[in-house]
Amino acid sequence: MSAGEVVTIKDLQFRYRGEKKWALDGISLNIPKGEFLVVMGASEAGKSTLATCLNGLIPHYMRGRLNGEVVVLGQNTKECTVPQLAEEVGIVFQDFEAQLFSTNVELEIAFGPENFGVSREEMKRRIDENLKYVGLEEFRNRPPFTLSGGQKQKLAIASVLAMQPKILVMDEPTTDLDPISKQGIFEIINKLRQSDEITLIVVEHETEETLNADRIVLIQNGKIVKSGPVREILQDVESLEEFGVMPLGIPKFFNNVKPSSQLPLTPEEGVDAFKQANLQISDKKYKELVLEEEAASRKFSTPVIQCTDLEHTYPNGVNALQGIDLEINLGEMVAIIGQNGSGKTTLAKHFNGLLMPTDGDIRVNDIPTSDQGIFKLGQRVGYVFQNPDHQIFSEFVFDEVAFSPRLRNVHEDEVKERVSEALEAVGLVGYEQEDPFSLTKSGRQRVAVAAVLAIQPDVLILDEPTTGLDYKEQRSMMDMVKRLNERGSTTIFITHHMWVVAEYAQKVFVIKDGRILLKGSKREVFSNEKILEESFLRPPHFVQLANRLGKTFLTPEEMIACLETGGNA
Amino acid sequence: MTVELYLDYDTVIHRLDARIKLLIFVFSFIGLVLFEHPLWILPVAVLILLQTTLARAWVNVWRIRALLIILTISSVIMWNIFASGETHLFWFFDLESLLYSLARTMLILLMILCGVNLISTTRNEELVLGMIGLGLPYRVGFAISTALRLVPTIAASIYTISQAQRSRGLDLEGGSILERIKKYIPLLIPVFISTIRNTNVFGMALESKGFGAREDRTFYLKLEMRPPDYFVLVFGVILSVLAIILDLRGFGAIPGLTRF
Repeated sequence: MSAGEVVTIKDLQFRYRGEKKWALDGISLNIPKGEFLVVMGASEAGKSTLATCLNGLIPHYMRGRLNGEVVVLGQNTKECTVPQLAEEVGIVFQDFEAQLFSTNVELEIAFGPENFGVSREEMKRRIDENLKYVGLEEFRNRPPFTLSGGQKQKLAIASVLAMQPKILVMDEPTTDLDPISKQGIFEIINKLRQSDEITLIVVEHETEETLNADRIVLIQNGKIVKSGPVREILQDVESLEEFGVMPLGIPKFFNNVKPSSQLPLTPEEGVDAFKQANLQISDKKYKELVLEEEAASRKFSTPVIQCTDLEHTYPNGVNALQGIDLEINLGEMVAIIGQNGSGKTTLAKHFNGLLMPTDGDIRVNDIPTSDQGIFKLGQRVGYVFQNPDHQIFSEFVFDEVAFSPRLRNVHEDEVKERVSEALEAVGLVGYEQEDPFSLTKSGRQRVAVAAVLAIQPDVLILDEPTTGLDYKEQRSMMDMVKRLNERGSTTIFITHHMWVVAEYAQKVFVIKDGRILLKGSKREVFSNEKILEESFLRPPHFVQLANRLGKTFLTPEEMIACLETGGNA
Repeated sequence: MTVELYLDYDTVIHRLDARIKLLIFVFSFIGLVLFEHPLWILPVAVLILLQTTLARAWVNVWRIRALLIILTISSVIMWNIFASGETHLFWFFDLESLLYSLARTMLILLMILCGVNLISTTRNEELVLGMIGLGLPYRVGFAISTALRLVPTIAASIYTISQAQRSRGLDLEGGSILERIKKYIPLLIPVFISTIRNTNVFGMALESKGFGAREDRTFYLKLEMRPPDYFVLVFGVILSVLAIILDLRGFGAIPGLTRF
């Protein structure tokens, strides 16, 4: 190991016990002290496996076959235990619920230092220091479960920093967070980056957040396929797409209209580059685009779901929704967005009768949901829960999808027909006799969608259908949802992924603290950056660039189509 | 949805030392288990109810009301079947067995109440410290508190999963017992799987934070015996000794009761 390196990985191979395929297949990587390294790649590429190799969870906690070696600060991870390494290498997991286990914020931070015999005075000092660092001082006596998602993840970071590790590993720390909470986590990461003492290794899906890193490593099938300085990798739009990582919209746009080796990455750079390139947006074409969209939305005029002054107060007194007025029409594709805990899911659960309003009125097909009940309503309004593992239980994909129709006493011949239709819609033909648990997350998500489609509902609700999927999977999931919508199902989805809203929604509802803060077409909503920010949301970089140029374009393709041709070049 | 049982209040009971709160549990058990007659159980019962009131823990009792009702009914029936006496009342109920069944039911309910009092007023971390203070090894104390911690997590996932399956048309009510058991399969399998997944992450987080790295672990919380603690301790010891003496002298029994 050379002087400045804190991690040396040599020819690392790892295979989980009982698997045939190598999860990591010949990784060699040196990480110098103080570096901020981002690891990206498609699902199942081996990113998390690599992360857990760094603190010894592999091979000590998760068993399997390991070849090659991982040396962290001079120690071979094979030869020391996870708790021993914990003082040097801290790790933050994606699941912020399961990694917190104390009854208040202070004790959560104290847990690590306690294990290392730190004195009480020193612990107090570290608690104060780290709470301040992540900005949670006012929450010190709160039970962690009462914090928002973003705050929980900040707490997880503080609790790891309190052990004063020299290396901090984060495994998709922002996957379940809203855009502004994501930004909050990356602000902390950037602050940590200023210090030369700590080395940061972050596994991440979101490309926009990685701009401040030093280096990006792209992984595919357990191998490093590309590694280089951040700007260099992010400008390489084609490679990113090839390896299942979402390319930034801004370089993608400029790569199309004016290819160069130095593509702009941020909205600021984009504005400059736009002016420098002497590009012009055609007002006429933009107007046509907007008019066309308005005409299209007028086609949807039969209301399916109507809420008037809807209110919901949970039995524990929490007022989750108030004064909700909304109308969703037959055939629409609607996105509901908002911060973690803003009431999005509570609202959606009223649509299929899982929850009943405590005040106000909600009608589906002009009948109050309370007169229909969940069993009957469930046939009209299908609801796909966020986590497919909360509903899958069958041994075979076929039975899982057939569950609902069978419960509704559909004849077995028709069940077969419906199952094959549903599986075809989600692209899982041929998987009938597979064990659903053996599928990937995106596969299980598809099974869950098929299981709901088999009821043949008129309305389809999807709660965060793209969370935990990689870019390619997100795209194919949403393309599938779009097809279903085009076939006639009214589709409502809840999401944190703003680019998904930008590309796939028609109508958007922004929820904040149980109220509708903003509603309209996606273009109207995304043109209103200020109000969005109030509800912890932020349009994708590309839309921000377009807004700065005075028009709200949602995708690079749209903007390209509306460029003034000829004249200026 | 959150199903945490600990109540974050600042009451007389909350302020007691965790060791004392654990001992109250033990004292209550002694005071309750020795006597067959419900009237003799009454004094301790009053003390326990007083503790619940002082701790403002009735909310938690209310939460588990269904369990308490089921236990009451089944316990009264069961103890009347398994005990008999000389004064016949009706069916399989005798006066003696009825009294005895009331006493046993009170025992069960009151011990649950004691548990609720303990958990409602004691943080998990304090509970671990208290158990260590009473002589249990750290790992054992931690294991017990982890098991307790799992309860709200599992309850939350049961809630979510039952909503997911109800959305798909599962109706848990109605049907014969066999049918009902079958209906719970779509609920239980995802609950097991998500619990296993959660505990797996929990285990990883635990080890990654250095759990068991050193023998000389320190604790951020400090247990401290204050005057009220000594008062409760002395009071509890006196009552327990008194209860044992009375029991040895033959008080609190139901004459004519036969147990199987």
